[in-house]
Amino acid sequence: MPRQVLEDTLTADSIAADTALAASGDASAFERLYRTHVARVHTLVRRMLDADEADDVTQDVFIRAWQKLSTFRGESAFGTWLHRLAVNVVLARRKTVGIERGRFIADDGPLDRATGKRETLELSLDFEEALAQLPEGARQVFVLHDVEGYRHEEIARMLGVVPGTSKSQLHHARMALRRHLER
Amino acid sequence: MNDLWTNRLSEYIDGELDNTERAALEEHLATCGHCYATLADLRQVIARAKHLEDREPAQDLWAGIRAGLTTDAPIPLRRDRLVRRRFSLTVGQLLAASIALVLMSGGGMWLAFRPDAQPSPIVQRGIESNETGNRNVARWRVQSDIAIAELQDALTLNEGKLDTATVRIVRENLAVIDRAISQAQHALRRDPGNTYLNLHLAKAMRQKIELLRRANALAGES
Repeated sequence: MPRQVLEDTLTADSIAADTALAASGDASAFERLYRTHVARVHTLVRRMLDADEADDVTQDVFIRAWQKLSTFRGESAFGTWLHRLAVNVVLARRKTVGIERGRFIADDGPLDRATGKRETLELSLDFEEALAQLPEGARQVFVLHDVEGYRHEEIARMLGVVPGTSKSQLHHARMALRRHLER
Repeated sequence: MNDLWTNRLSEYIDGELDNTERAALEEHLATCGHCYATLADLRQVIARAKHLEDREPAQDLWAGIRAGLTTDAPIPLRRDRLVRRRFSLTVGQLLAASIALVLMSGGGMWLAFRPDAQPSPIVQRGIESNETGNRNVARWRVQSDIAIAELQDALTLNEGKLDTATVRIVRENLAVIDRAISQAQHALRRDPGNTYLNLHLAKAMRQKIELLRRANALAGES
């Protein structure tokens, strides 16, 4: 068995074992799961929401994961399950902070302002920073589609919009980011 | 620049245009340098997105998470069902089981670790090439781990109903089985496809589940 395949298998086994232990109440096993997955979850949250919310929401994701471990059936990898849970927490957060559906759809104003900043931004602005400059609606669609690999139909369902809106937001986001790449 | 076409470039990249629209856009691209350049830029944006790397948070968040775990247990155990089953096991039966386990695990591990121990090449190839089988094994292990964790938790609650000698024998049996499981897991880390070791591990885990189940049932009788 190739070394990488073996390491992947052992990692998967280790995560599966820690998931089972955590589900039985073993906080140490859950901490290992946290350490394995925190970068992925925190990065997703940071990209989808404002950076200053990322720590709080990441903690919320893991606490909810602990509470919901009994519903984890092992039909998918724990990381996939946790990722989906993180997306749901982020989207719920989006609703609780009062970002209504109408504002999401009519988001082009902030998008234009974000792209219009290009003349004053530092030339060293990296892609992550450019992404953070996007208005929330376009940023979330871009992250879900181009970074996380969700389809427009799934995104539309999650965000409560029609697929056409998701496609339109994605194109606007790409065009805005393209302008930053032009430097 | 043609906004009509420019606005369709993302859909073109994502393969969401029908054949007619696609052909029309490609015809336009052949003559429009601006759209052609924009298309290349958008592809570059998508490529950058796919190569973004995850970053750890600036500070360790575990302490806050750990504090949030104390009030919420993750899994509701069905202890009522575990303790109502009607099985009885005498101390003598437990002792006999203990002896049998020692013989099986000791003999098993000798077979596994002896210098010429090799799984059948045919079976070995079969297992390595059978990804479904490996997934099933992994799933079975997870399910067994969950069952064991639940039963151990239930036994912790039920131990008070058993007499001291029975508790001691159950614990000794569990220690024997745990050693067998630990040895098998250790050996499997070096040889994950070894059929014998996988079967040995499965057998030891089944024995542990059965012993825990019987011990809980015995406590339920008390």
